[in-house]
Amino acid sequence: MNCEVCQLKELEVEHFEIREVLRCILHTILFHRALGLVRPKDVDLELFEITYVQCGDVELERKIDEKIDQFIDRVEKYPNKKNQICLSFYEVKNKQATWFTNKVERLYWEQWYINLNVMQHPKTPSGKSHHSKLIVDPGVEARGARRAALEASLRDVLFQIIKFVNEKKDHVPSIPNLEGISFPYEITISSSSDSAFGMEMFKRMLQTGHPTMLS
Amino acid sequence: MASYQGTTHLEPAKMEQIITELFAKSLHIILESRCPYVSSRNYSGEQVLSSPSPSSSSSSPSSFRPRDKWFNLALRDCPAALENIDFWRQSNLEPMIIDVILVQRPRNSDSMNFSPKSGLMRNLLGKERYYYSSDNEEFGSDAKSEKIIERWILQYESKRSGASSGSKRSTCTSSHALYKKSILLLRSLYATVRLLPAYKLFRDLISSAQIRTYNLGHRVSSFVEPFTRIEEADIQRFVFTPVDTSCGRLCLSVLYHSSVLDVSSEPSTPISPQFIPEYVGSPLAEPLKRFASGPMSHSSPSSSPFGRRHSWGYDLNRASSPSVNPSPSPTYSESRASISKQRSNRLPPASLPRQLSDNTPPIHVKNPSFDEYWPTPTFTPSPSASPPMYIPGSQVSKVLLRSESAPVSIPASSLSSISLLPNNQILPPSPPMKATRPSVVKTDARSGLYKTSSTADKLFSFEKDEAGRTSWVESSSHNSPPKSFSRSSSRFSYQGDYDDSEFSGPFVLDDDDMTDSGTRSDSFDQPGHPSGPHERGGLLPVRKSQGAAVGALVRMLEKAPSLHQDISVTSDLLQGSKLEMLKNSIQDPNEISSTPQEQQSTSSNFAASGLISFKTTADALEELSGYREIKNSLLKQGKSSQA
Repeated sequence: MNCEVCQLKELEVEHFEIREVLRCILHTILFHRALGLVRPKDVDLELFEITYVQCGDVELERKIDEKIDQFIDRVEKYPNKKNQICLSFYEVKNKQATWFTNKVERLYWEQWYINLNVMQHPKTPSGKSHHSKLIVDPGVEARGARRAALEASLRDVLFQIIKFVNEKKDHVPSIPNLEGISFPYEITISSSSDSAFGMEMFKRMLQTGHPTMLS
Repeated sequence: MASYQGTTHLEPAKMEQIITELFAKSLHIILESRCPYVSSRNYSGEQVLSSPSPSSSSSSPSSFRPRDKWFNLALRDCPAALENIDFWRQSNLEPMIIDVILVQRPRNSDSMNFSPKSGLMRNLLGKERYYYSSDNEEFGSDAKSEKIIERWILQYESKRSGASSGSKRSTCTSSHALYKKSILLLRSLYATVRLLPAYKLFRDLISSAQIRTYNLGHRVSSFVEPFTRIEEADIQRFVFTPVDTSCGRLCLSVLYHSSVLDVSSEPSTPISPQFIPEYVGSPLAEPLKRFASGPMSHSSPSSSPFGRRHSWGYDLNRASSPSVNPSPSPTYSESRASISKQRSNRLPPASLPRQLSDNTPPIHVKNPSFDEYWPTPTFTPSPSASPPMYIPGSQVSKVLLRSESAPVSIPASSLSSISLLPNNQILPPSPPMKATRPSVVKTDARSGLYKTSSTADKLFSFEKDEAGRTSWVESSSHNSPPKSFSRSSSRFSYQGDYDDSEFSGPFVLDDDDMTDSGTRSDSFDQPGHPSGPHERGGLLPVRKSQGAAVGALVRMLEKAPSLHQDISVTSDLLQGSKLEMLKNSIQDPNEISSTPQEQQSTSSNFAASGLISFKTTADALEELSGYREIKNSLLKQGKSSQA
């Protein structure tokens, strides 16, 4: 079974938009991969006029929020890098003990890469309070245009997910008789720094189980 | 859903069943997010499901209906989908075309009715199977414009020939694989319907309280009406990847207008912001406007900003208020429950506000004039505002009976022997009771009850029945538990007075009497006060003495012990005092001066009997007798002066 990879369109987001954007994208992907019995839950974004769907798993929601927190921490730590979240679905294959001393082997059959470019503003948001009411903030219109563009891009990303899900169905394993999340998944965070990013890719290519961020 | 594990010969049947259910589920998903009247009542920011189970997959499997388990997607109820799908269950090979129609009403139309009625037209002519559901009846038939903003096309192309257009893999598609792919298809469909422009219109329709100039309808048919060129100019297409089966191919696609959002940005008329000059509680409205015997009217919390009723709530029958929602609101039942709870609760003696609080449901009785000054503050202690509640007049007395201060009914014959003020102190009866006894009694009752429960006020507010007044005396003297009132309620006999149309309520009466009764009670507070009160003549001293008596009564009521212990003994006291009063009544007016002493002795007898707890009742009886004496003396004087 081959591993399907989907690189989602890069989004330029501001710091305060990270959470909503990531929630939207991650939940949309997972809704399409939680093929057990679910009761979908519609969630309206606050920053955009977009309604996405969650699969209604509370535990999943919590895990996603944790990962988003980690991502935000990473962004703050490495502000000038492009950060990436990778959502991977794998199958667990129990094999005999190999020289890795790990009996658990993961076979990734799908990977989603969410690329975010977090914009950094030179001035702090509190600086805007110093503007008097009479002075029109020159950035308002630009921000509005940027927000609209981001919303359109986010909508494009969601359609990209939907199209990918529609087009690639054969690689999806058989659905176990479970409720909610039916396949194990993994969310990893990486930055575009050369060493760390490459290392992550190398590790994944080995497709061996490693005790990192088990979901 | 569990994997399909059946024999080979069942595969076609299973696949057909899967496809049939796929049609049904697709229709359900589409109409659920396009059909306003279905979800207007139970839609919120998050999905609110009609089923009682929460919107979480962690809910127990038993909360999932069999229909929900198809394709592992539990959805809200969608009657429109259920109505439509029966046909396709019978013959699932025909394509299903779902048109989402935007119905726009001209802005100059007077029709503002957006009641969620659906007009169903079913046309079963021949091969044409056409189901039209419109929620826009109120628009009128000739003033609206319809535009198809979305068209969903779901069809199953069966492959009759042996050659298949797909790869080898598709021909070997098992029902299991078909089911998996169907699940994926429906998941993406579910997400897609919420990303298309029409979804925003749908959400605006169901979530906003504003009257919109448009509405959404749908049409499910099995044929396609081609778009006009004008319409095609703005149409975009999204095609879901077909699901190949061994016997055919399932195709789902959508054509949609990308510019429908312009409609939602049109100015709409809000329902709620209408200026009501005489809203309940406004200075314009009469603050003591009587209750109406009209139907109960409640405002649902979400209907409008004016839905929250004021405690004054007298004007509930004002149907002119647009915020009035004729359907009972949930809080109505809550207020009923709270009232029933109050029946067994101890009413605080000091809770007699002059006006209703926000928590108070006004009590409706048949007599409007009577109800006009009917304070009902203590029935609902809950902090949340509850809509006013009407209780039929015949039930009010029952309510009061069960209340804390329901009076004990005393036979009218013993009225004369009953002192009005069940006071601890000995009340000199000689204080000039020039005023008529009924008025005195009435004002005493009324004023004395200022600090008692509202029910006590109600009891005393009527003045016709002496038994009622005296019964008030008995009851108001004690803040006894309801148990006592259950005994006394059987003897309560003033119910008929509620129907007295002449009654105008306690507040209607002379305010002079009320203030004077206060002074009168003060004078009565001094049993040793020998001659001052009764030496006065005329109305003025009477009023003063009445006020003092009332004041004393009030104090008595606040400190009064429970009644239930005293019922049996009280009757004995009444009997005894009755004899005393009868004796006193025969006396000449000249002997009035002696009555205080006699009354004092009577009271002292009572006290001496060791029934200290009954001092209040005895004193009230004495007081009553005193008043009676004064009244008689006044009458005699009047006759003598006329003669």
